[in-house]
Amino acid sequence: MDPNDVLVKAETLRNSLSSGFRDEIVKSLYSEAEKIARRAVKTAQEKKYDLDQKIDRLVTSPLTGLPLMLILLGIIIWLTVSGANVVSEAIANVLFGIGGWGRALFNQIGIPWWITGFLWDGVYLGLAWVVSVMLPPMAIFFPAFTFLEDLGYLPRVAFNLDWLFKKAGAHGKQSLTMAMGFGCNAAGVVATRVIDSPRERLIAILTNNFVPCNGRFPTLIMLATVFVASAFPPALTSFAAAGAVVGVVLIGVAFTFLMSWLLSRTVLKGEASAFTLELPPYRRPNVTRILYTSIIDRTIFVLWRAMQTAAPAGAVIWILANIHIGDSNLARLIADWLNPVGLLLGLDGVILLAYIIAIPANEIVVPTMMMVYMGAGMMIDAPATSAGIYNLLVVQNGWTMLTAVNLMLFALLHNPCATTIITIYKETKSYKWAAVSVLITLGTAFIVTFLTASFARLMGWA
Amino acid sequence: MNLWTLFILALLLLAVFFPRLGLIATYRNWQNARQREQLEDALKHLLDREQQGRHASPESLAGILNLPRAKVTRLISDMETQGLLETRGTQLHLTAEGERWAMHVVRAHRLWERYLVDEARMPLEKIHQAAQKREHTLTASQLDELDAALGHPTRDPHGDPIPTREGKMPSVERMPITAWQAEGPLRIVHIEDEPSIAYEQILAAGLRLGQVVRMIEKTPQRVVLSDGEAEYRLAPAVAANIEVEPLPESEIAKTNAISLADLPDAQPAEIVHLDDAVQGFTRRRFLDLGLTPGAIIYPELGNFFGDPRAYRVRGTLIALRKDQASQIWVKEVHR
Repeated sequence: MDPNDVLVKAETLRNSLSSGFRDEIVKSLYSEAEKIARRAVKTAQEKKYDLDQKIDRLVTSPLTGLPLMLILLGIIIWLTVSGANVVSEAIANVLFGIGGWGRALFNQIGIPWWITGFLWDGVYLGLAWVVSVMLPPMAIFFPAFTFLEDLGYLPRVAFNLDWLFKKAGAHGKQSLTMAMGFGCNAAGVVATRVIDSPRERLIAILTNNFVPCNGRFPTLIMLATVFVASAFPPALTSFAAAGAVVGVVLIGVAFTFLMSWLLSRTVLKGEASAFTLELPPYRRPNVTRILYTSIIDRTIFVLWRAMQTAAPAGAVIWILANIHIGDSNLARLIADWLNPVGLLLGLDGVILLAYIIAIPANEIVVPTMMMVYMGAGMMIDAPATSAGIYNLLVVQNGWTMLTAVNLMLFALLHNPCATTIITIYKETKSYKWAAVSVLITLGTAFIVTFLTASFARLMGWA
Repeated sequence: MNLWTLFILALLLLAVFFPRLGLIATYRNWQNARQREQLEDALKHLLDREQQGRHASPESLAGILNLPRAKVTRLISDMETQGLLETRGTQLHLTAEGERWAMHVVRAHRLWERYLVDEARMPLEKIHQAAQKREHTLTASQLDELDAALGHPTRDPHGDPIPTREGKMPSVERMPITAWQAEGPLRIVHIEDEPSIAYEQILAAGLRLGQVVRMIEKTPQRVVLSDGEAEYRLAPAVAANIEVEPLPESEIAKTNAISLADLPDAQPAEIVHLDDAVQGFTRRRFLDLGLTPGAIIYPELGNFFGDPRAYRVRGTLIALRKDQASQIWVKEVHR
């Protein structure tokens, strides 16, 4: 028979099909599968879901479910932030030690200072810094998060919070990608794959950055302890600092909803699409799988992308700090040039410069800032004590309470880091959406900080 | 004249005259697209009129396109030279070529509407506007691809038939009741008024347009119909003047089913039917999750905020929002 005749025949036969034939096909597939399952699988009695149901009642009731959710999130973030400190320091000691030897070795065999500086104080230091600050929190956060995922708890969170997301025109599973964002926004963007409708997924991708990631928490905590907490009596300082960080996080969440709502009514207009959410039965977590997914799929994956961008950033930072024109280096000159814009936003030129050259990773914003303030030739740590930081920033560089508050806001709202931007591009396969994600966040950051600065000045506070 | 002035002048000239990207080329493209839109809208109007059994005139065309008479006259003579239409007196007739083109545009419009609803899930009231623009830029091969990707739909979201690739408008499924073979309810959509004897007999029997009936009996001697309460007996020759269409499945289901969203907590039910309005992506998703006709389902876990609710089906727990649940029709089962 001629293939064309077959096609023609198929065409005519197709027209005689009833409209529900696809449903019938799926139905017959299911009944066939059921038949096979009945023959092959023996069950002692009909399966009961009593225990699952009891847990579900507890987890989804507003009295116990919502507090449980907040407590779990709080515990994970606390574990991450406090646990990572110790490990970070250890890793930093080792890596910076290697850097020291490398430098000494290069000096000994007589390699010119600028090659040594570029390689060890620039490229290597950038890499070492990012690895030591980024690796530990991710290695704690991701397994903890994956544990809840494996347990079957996370879909219940989406179930609890869906009504809120529905109002914003988004998907309940966005709550999970936001929670993932606390660990790393790039991982949060990848996690949006669980959202199966393209429109809601894009909303989740574009707004993920409003949740502060691990890399931004240390900045927020430092500012909260040094500035906000110092305004309170000593007994209350730690509560005030914690409260300030929580407040900033809540502002971020509020912006997520606001921006989701705006997007779903403008650029990403459309009907709320099929919301289907499977609530799997509770399982005993599988430790090997947890470690594999969290370390290999998430931590290493993100770290690798971050390292690719951190090395060139380290090089740029070193060049800016070591090329001198007249009395000051390039970094200082650019910072002075940016200063008027910075002041308008309640920040200063150095902060803006740090955010521009630290696009590859938020972790190096503070060391870069410190480098420029102290006029050093490479990234350096902030002073160890609150008093030291206070002295450097307020006494020597004219920071005010407004600078601290606006920096916290800017750290929360500003553009995604390079790793996240690349990830957004890879996930959406579109330069346009990657650019939109930058414009939305940067625009919000500029507008908000400009408004708070203007307001504070109008009221005579700053 | 210095070098800078010359440079800027050259830039300006380039911006105006650059091939394909310059201002003039852009304007030309825009003008061409506009002319094409006008021509295709005119073709659609002619086709529309012909399907209603009337003919378009220069006046009706001017009204539809919102153009002054002079421009319409020029458009008509243009189309005539292209062999798309013929004027007979004040009537405008489509040629075979014109009809083929018009069918292409209608096909593009209706397929695109189908796409917007099924896959992009745009609200129904928005799709016409969007399709009105897109119909002018889709090529025939793009349409074939779209058609295949959508699973060869036969109706657009408003229920109008989609023309075939060969440019034929499928007739709406209606037929004399005597030709009806299958079971299931039917809706009377047309009662032929010639010859009037048969017409009067039908009306006297109490049948009317829009009525939903079932065929009880069909023999060479008589046809018996029932609407659930009364029975109607007709001679086959008379009954042949009644035209019917099968009732859409969703409406059959709705007659004796409730939506899943209205099912009380913990009440088991059997899925009867997925709403016809759910097509494409959403329907595939439902079917993938095992929400097939015949499956047993019951609401197991409510939400404090009322929405979503989780249902147990085929041993798994699946949460659906109210909007989704109301597209699934079920009937309660009692054990």
